[in-house]
Amino acid sequence: MNGVPIALYLGLGLFMFTIGVVGVVIRRNPIVIFMCIELMLNAVNLTFVTFARYQMSPVPAGGMARESSMMAGQMMVTFVMAVAAAEVAVGLGIMMAIFRLRQNIDVDELNILRG
Amino acid sequence: MESNGFNLIWLVLALPLLGFLLQALAGQRIEKAVGRRTLGALAVAPIALSFLIAVFLTQRLAGLAPGDRNVVVWGGEWIRISQLNIPFEAIVDPLSMTMVLIITGIGALIHLYATGYMSEEREYARFFTYLNLFIASMLILVLGNNLVLLFIGWEGVGLCSYLLIGFWYTDLANAKAANKAFIVNRIGDWSLTLGLFLIVAALATVFPKVSGDRILSFDTMLPALQSILKDNPALATGIALLLFGGAAGKSAQFPLYVWLPDAMAGPTPVSALIHAATMVTSGVVLLNRMHVVFECSPVASAIVCAIGAFTALFAALIAFGQTDIKKVLAYSTVSQLGFMFIGCGAGAYWTGMFHVTTHAFFKALLFLGAGAVIHAMAHEQDMRRYGKLAKYLPITFGTMLVGALAISGFPLMSGFFSKEAILGAALAGTHAQVDGFAIGEWAGLVGLVVAGLTALYMTRLTFLTFLGNEERWRTAPAEIHHESHAVAFGVSELLDLSDPHGFYKTMDSQAEEDHAHHGLTSDHTPHEVGPSMWIPLVVLAALSVFGGFLLQSNGMFEHWLQPMPLPVLGEVRTEPTTINLTMYSLIAAFAGMILGAIFYYRGLPANQGLDETKWTPLRLWQRNQFGFDQGVTTLAVEGGGDLGRSLWHWIDNGVIDGFVRGIALVATVSGGVLRQIQTGSVRLYALVMLVGVVGFLSYFLVASHLAIAVTGGR
Repeated sequence: MNGVPIALYLGLGLFMFTIGVVGVVIRRNPIVIFMCIELMLNAVNLTFVTFARYQMSPVPAGGMARESSMMAGQMMVTFVMAVAAAEVAVGLGIMMAIFRLRQNIDVDELNILRG
Repeated sequence: MESNGFNLIWLVLALPLLGFLLQALAGQRIEKAVGRRTLGALAVAPIALSFLIAVFLTQRLAGLAPGDRNVVVWGGEWIRISQLNIPFEAIVDPLSMTMVLIITGIGALIHLYATGYMSEEREYARFFTYLNLFIASMLILVLGNNLVLLFIGWEGVGLCSYLLIGFWYTDLANAKAANKAFIVNRIGDWSLTLGLFLIVAALATVFPKVSGDRILSFDTMLPALQSILKDNPALATGIALLLFGGAAGKSAQFPLYVWLPDAMAGPTPVSALIHAATMVTSGVVLLNRMHVVFECSPVASAIVCAIGAFTALFAALIAFGQTDIKKVLAYSTVSQLGFMFIGCGAGAYWTGMFHVTTHAFFKALLFLGAGAVIHAMAHEQDMRRYGKLAKYLPITFGTMLVGALAISGFPLMSGFFSKEAILGAALAGTHAQVDGFAIGEWAGLVGLVVAGLTALYMTRLTFLTFLGNEERWRTAPAEIHHESHAVAFGVSELLDLSDPHGFYKTMDSQAEEDHAHHGLTSDHTPHEVGPSMWIPLVVLAALSVFGGFLLQSNGMFEHWLQPMPLPVLGEVRTEPTTINLTMYSLIAAFAGMILGAIFYYRGLPANQGLDETKWTPLRLWQRNQFGFDQGVTTLAVEGGGDLGRSLWHWIDNGVIDGFVRGIALVATVSGGVLRQIQTGSVRLYALVMLVGVVGFLSYFLVASHLAIAVTGGR
């Protein structure tokens, strides 16, 4: 792993994040949008573990040991995964409710809040 | 200042009040249980009893030395604020007792008359409720020993007047006349209130050093006012004119007279009691009570004189254009009130009261006589449908003839003496002068002319009603009359319901005719009225004949009412030095009567007949009060309405509401612009969020780089 330069990890994260953002903005199917959001979250997760591995962040004076600051980045990943799972559960529930109401889940049709 | 033995005065006041309560609370039950006759007796009795007590008290008062005839009767605490004390007190002095005698005496006779006149009315008890309350209010007005009590009576009288004019309230014209009387009186009351405030303000400068805490009681207030106003004629003029404004409202002087002719819409006993004998004299009473103020202001007195003279002439001229018997008498009342103010303005205040007294006799008589005629003629009031009634109504004719002679100033009748006293005082010209210009003398000359006119229009009334050559209702029954009136003068238009304010003048003849139980038909035979109605007529006729002579002999009335020289003016002459007044006034009276007889002895002239297109323009103009009433209506009512509407339109709707609406408009417009942002498109929101995040991040990135560059990397 040490042979791979950090820029490749970050570049992959940036690429995934950009695909996620563009997907959220241009797609109309909420399931696809969810998938794109997952992509963004995973890109962030990748960035987290990358930095955790390479320990780019400076250790505060008299601060944590190497292992614990590595753990901090990995723990954020776990945390993000847990939140993402919860979000998907709620989001799919909302989508089901909208579908039952309107027989349609196209986000461009969901414009009753238009001013 | 002892009140011993004068406590009975409260009984005089309480009896009509009790009568009022009895009629109001139990009147209808009594009427059902024991009948109208008893109810009527119960209405008359309190007033008659009050009169007897008043006679007794007056005798007792006359027994005192002239300087002591000023008794304050304590009634109880009333208003006490800090050092100000306004107790409930009655004043028993010649002025108040004179008025009490007139109010209760004439009042009792008119009550008696009304029991007969109103006997066919449905709401008998309501009528006598108002009538008794009216007497009580008037008594409070004259007996109250401070201006606050006087004001209560003043307003109470106005209220009862309103209730009684609108007694037949189902008729729109009557309701309108009642409203008009009330509102026009309100203008006068406004002036009176300001006058009272000004008096209080003036007294505040000496309060309470000079006269203790009962500052508003007449016995302490008048001397204090005198000492203040003697050196301050401008303030005296202000107070006097404001008080006179109030008096002009109640006593129907020139600009505010318009309510009185319309007040004839009420039942005739009301016209006699309120609008001739008592209520309209309250202005004269006020001037007599507050004469100190008027003595201190020659300017205000001159104005009083001038307005009185103008009103007398103006109303006398209008009387010639009237065909309604009550309207003629109404304008004659306005005219005679003008005489009273001439006397008061000239400084001879007692002459005003003298004319009040004699006028109460003969005007009540004339109105009651007119009521008897109307009663006999099936509620027809148009003199053009009368004629030769003397044959059918001998008592009414005889008594009314006496009244007409008395008001015309026939020698040795009551009106002759009082008018003589007033004109004498005016022509002597001692007081009402402005910069040496003797307004009083001019007022006296005008008064002489008006005396002649009075004789003329009273002769016209007498001849048209009782004499002449034909019984005109036989050829011109009332049905045609309704139509011709409606066409010729647009009565239907004036009664238009679209005028909600009731200010249009009520045309004559419409006052009572809608209440006719049956119209005046060509085969109608008039019948003399019953004893409850002719007894008051006879009594009043006797008073009209002898009252003036008895009161005038040895200057009795003058010494009674004014035992001392006036505090500021001293003695006021009532005999002119330059002309022979008696001769001129006799010439005026006889010229009026003879001319009247020449014009009208053959009955109704063709140019005054039912066909009003044949009337001369002058007479039509007189009939319409020289356009004054219409002018007031146009200017004040319609103009006021237009002013209010334009204020509403431009100020309220435009400026005030515009401001509020402007604020709302700002919110609406800005909201309309801003709502374009809310597209409802989720994807666009996401994009905007993205741009925002990128923008912020870029900013912080650049800013931190710049900060690093500035601080040199540290």
